[in-house]
Amino acid sequence: MHCRQASEMMSIRLDGRIDDADSALLDEHLAECEECQAEWQRVQAIDRLLSSAPMVQAPVRVRVQVMTRLERRDKARRALVGGTALTLGTVALAALAITPLLLGLFNVTGIAPALIHGGPKTISHLAGYGGTMGRTYLGVVGDLIIPLAVVGLCGLVSAVVLNGIWIGLMRRLRASR
Amino acid sequence: MIEESDWIQQARAGDQNAFGRLVVAYQTPVYNLAYRMLGNAAEAEDAAQEAFLRAYTHLRSYDPNRPFRSWMLSIASHYCIDRLRRRRITWLPLEEEFAEPVNMASQSPNPEKVASQREQEGQIQELLGMLSPTDRAAITLRYWYDCSYEEIAEMLNLTVSAVKSRLHRARRALAESMEGDTSYALQTG
Repeated sequence: MHCRQASEMMSIRLDGRIDDADSALLDEHLAECEECQAEWQRVQAIDRLLSSAPMVQAPVRVRVQVMTRLERRDKARRALVGGTALTLGTVALAALAITPLLLGLFNVTGIAPALIHGGPKTISHLAGYGGTMGRTYLGVVGDLIIPLAVVGLCGLVSAVVLNGIWIGLMRRLRASR
Repeated sequence: MIEESDWIQQARAGDQNAFGRLVVAYQTPVYNLAYRMLGNAAEAEDAAQEAFLRAYTHLRSYDPNRPFRSWMLSIASHYCIDRLRRRRITWLPLEEEFAEPVNMASQSPNPEKVASQREQEGQIQELLGMLSPTDRAAITLRYWYDCSYEEIAEMLNLTVSAVKSRLHRARRALAESMEGDTSYALQTG
């Protein structure tokens, strides 16, 4: 047996996995090799030291802390679902509120009648109405200035509210990690 | 253990109280593993919590045919190995590096024994700190949990021969570092 093999066998012997034949060969080598004998003494000392070390008891608060973090995580998840539903609801309401206004604009410019009546003339109608729309827009914008301001204000308020909800959710999520 | 399998089933169904029982049953093995790996009481506590949270999240992937202890220790080992690797680029404040667990000092009323235990613990943690994260995990699982080569291999995703060679390498490294410390060699005889 070489020194390298002997060194490996020492570790296997400490783990109780050495067979009788290898054990005999190891003893034979140790009897004639001082360096390996010294190494065997040292690894046995390490083995005794590690084997004598106790299991460190966990602080009792570990369970409470784990359970608290689990509850926080669940709350954050619920808040995320609720926040998503709230956001979608607000977007849907905003869409409902804006639709009549957009339809009104389309009717004024003539796009809606062209789309409704359809047919081969639609494309030429659309091209014509493109130019008309630009000219009409300037005239219409005066009439729409108040509704547009209301829609803009609603959008701003919605954005502020949604942003607040989003920041709150992110804080909760961060706290639960 | 019939009770334990019931808790696992209930926890998998979303019962947090049942999971709480599992935490109570395994908090010391998980915490001890984290402490031996990280060498720091505060970090060990945080790592133990994180390991349990990960276990709860992945409870559905747990194979009931495998011992829960092995599964739990595997999660904790991997988490600690990752944390040690990250630590190489993040410096810890010096006073936190070797902070010892609060409960360690209060185990014996004899002050001399307490001092000796503290010294021994310090030596052990210092020695473990010299090993690579995976070697440290292998040594910890071998000595504190009496795990076989096969169990360590499964927990750390290694082959059995890799476990053997890691244990051998770790012991040699520990023995060599011990050689340089005469007082330590005298104490451990």
